[in-house]
Amino acid sequence: MIGQLIDGPLWYFSLAVFCLGVLFRFFTILRAGLKPDLAIPRAGGAAGALRNLFTRFVPRRDVATRGRLTLVAGYLFHLGLFALLFFARPHVDFYAERITGFDWPALPYWAFIISAEIAFIGLLLLWLHRLLHPVTRLLSTADDHIGTGLVFLVMLTGCLALAQSFEPLRLLHLFLAELLLIYFPFSSLMHTFTFVFSRGYTGAIMGRKGVNA
Amino acid sequence: MGRVLFPQNVADAMKGGWLFLLCVLMLLLLVTSTAAIGAETAEQAQAIPVPNPSADLWREVRQRDGIVVGKTQVAGVDSGALINPYGETWRNFRMQQLIPYSGYLLVGMLLLLLLFFAIRGKVKVNAGMSDKKLFRYSLYERMIHWFIASVFLFLALTGLILLFGRSLLIPWVGQELFSLLASASKEGHNLFGPVFVVALLLIFIRFVRRNIYQRGDLTWLLKGGGIIGKGHVPSNFFNMGEKSMFWLLVLLGIVIIGSGLILVFPLFGQTRVTMELAHLSHAITTLLMILVIMGHIYIGSVGMEGALDGMTTGYCDLNWAREHHAQWAERCEQEGQVVSEAEVSRLRGESSGGHIPPAGAQESGQ
Repeated sequence: MIGQLIDGPLWYFSLAVFCLGVLFRFFTILRAGLKPDLAIPRAGGAAGALRNLFTRFVPRRDVATRGRLTLVAGYLFHLGLFALLFFARPHVDFYAERITGFDWPALPYWAFIISAEIAFIGLLLLWLHRLLHPVTRLLSTADDHIGTGLVFLVMLTGCLALAQSFEPLRLLHLFLAELLLIYFPFSSLMHTFTFVFSRGYTGAIMGRKGVNA
Repeated sequence: MGRVLFPQNVADAMKGGWLFLLCVLMLLLLVTSTAAIGAETAEQAQAIPVPNPSADLWREVRQRDGIVVGKTQVAGVDSGALINPYGETWRNFRMQQLIPYSGYLLVGMLLLLLLFFAIRGKVKVNAGMSDKKLFRYSLYERMIHWFIASVFLFLALTGLILLFGRSLLIPWVGQELFSLLASASKEGHNLFGPVFVVALLLIFIRFVRRNIYQRGDLTWLLKGGGIIGKGHVPSNFFNMGEKSMFWLLVLLGIVIIGSGLILVFPLFGQTRVTMELAHLSHAITTLLMILVIMGHIYIGSVGMEGALDGMTTGYCDLNWAREHHAQWAERCEQEGQVVSEAEVSRLRGESSGGHIPPAGAQESGQ
């Protein structure tokens, strides 16, 4: 009964909440608009936005030195999670069956496991940094910890269900993933998408001012 | 007679259909009983040992010394061995020695710590906690400490479920739930094992220099860290006990990692005997590590006043440092590294003003 609920209605409900919630957040961001810039632009904003979007993937040298650990852990976590989410064989099969109708090449098992390892290393280090660093500890809210905790639990239950022999383990993983989907649009996890807006906005402003930021 | 004992209608019925039905039932009962007895007899007859013509052959194969490897067209490790006699030795050792004695040791250690706490209580800072602090562990050091701690606790928990689960958990949760729990523990344990390798490597690289033995460490050991004799025994940043624990954990960790990798990646031609030995050494060394860590957790939490502060805030109390790491504290004081509690609160952003630490201090945790 609970299994059918998790596998069926709750999955569709959480997916709908995720899609509609993300669209709603996009809508509110775009609807907020921009303050009119009355100054004569020195250069185009679009070029600055694009430049800022991609150059910020590589941090400035001084930031990279002081925050080396968070930089490395951040890349480990995000790359590992991306590989897990979109290229792990069970996930590819799930998407093909439930959403896309077609599949794509998946990672070999060993690469899947390495992705999980590096994602866990990155996530644990980042979470510890958030808890121990005096500044991030003060800046972090319950939302940050709930988001991190949910992502961690989804990853953990996924790894516990790796044998794919026990239906309750798969359902537990799916249930937590559904909770994450419902929570996602209304939390700081939205930075998955909104980083494009923030970088683009800053880059466009700087671009118009002729500042190479 | 019948007329006396039974009413007329019953007597009539017995004369007719009822009597017939009763007879049929009795017959059925008799047949069934006979069949059951017959089956039982047949089972007894089957239980009579009948010599298996090949039993002697297999017994002979099993009881030979060592593994007899024959020729086979099946490619693979151990495919030429008909029976691995060490498998039974390994199984018996695991079931009859490893599991019970490991359990006794873990429970014994727990009782020992409880007894020690009951007798000794919390080791207080004699001079009392001061309002002065010394910077002890950087942010990075605290991060990798809690990183290895969380990974180790997860591995220990899942490992103990795999070792003791059949004996301890099945009576409580049943076989079905335990099989699920065991599968989850195995997968989690295998996945987090390599993470522990990374964590131990980070800890080793960061702390190895401060754990090299120095002059004066032996004195600390001979005086039992202050337990023997009066007064505190001076020590450096780490005392002899902490250094020995570090090296013990590194050495045990190497065995645990090596044996764990042999078990989790059976791809490099390791035989069953190698796997069995790896399993036993993995279990024994891990058990030792758990025992040592239990003591470590005890001292860091309820056993000693002020011991945990360094690993949570980065700063330790000056009086605590003077009493437990006198040489290091003295050097810090000479170098003017003593900071007030108010300054520490300010650096950690805990003061009412909510000042943010200077940029340089943020990443280092200073």
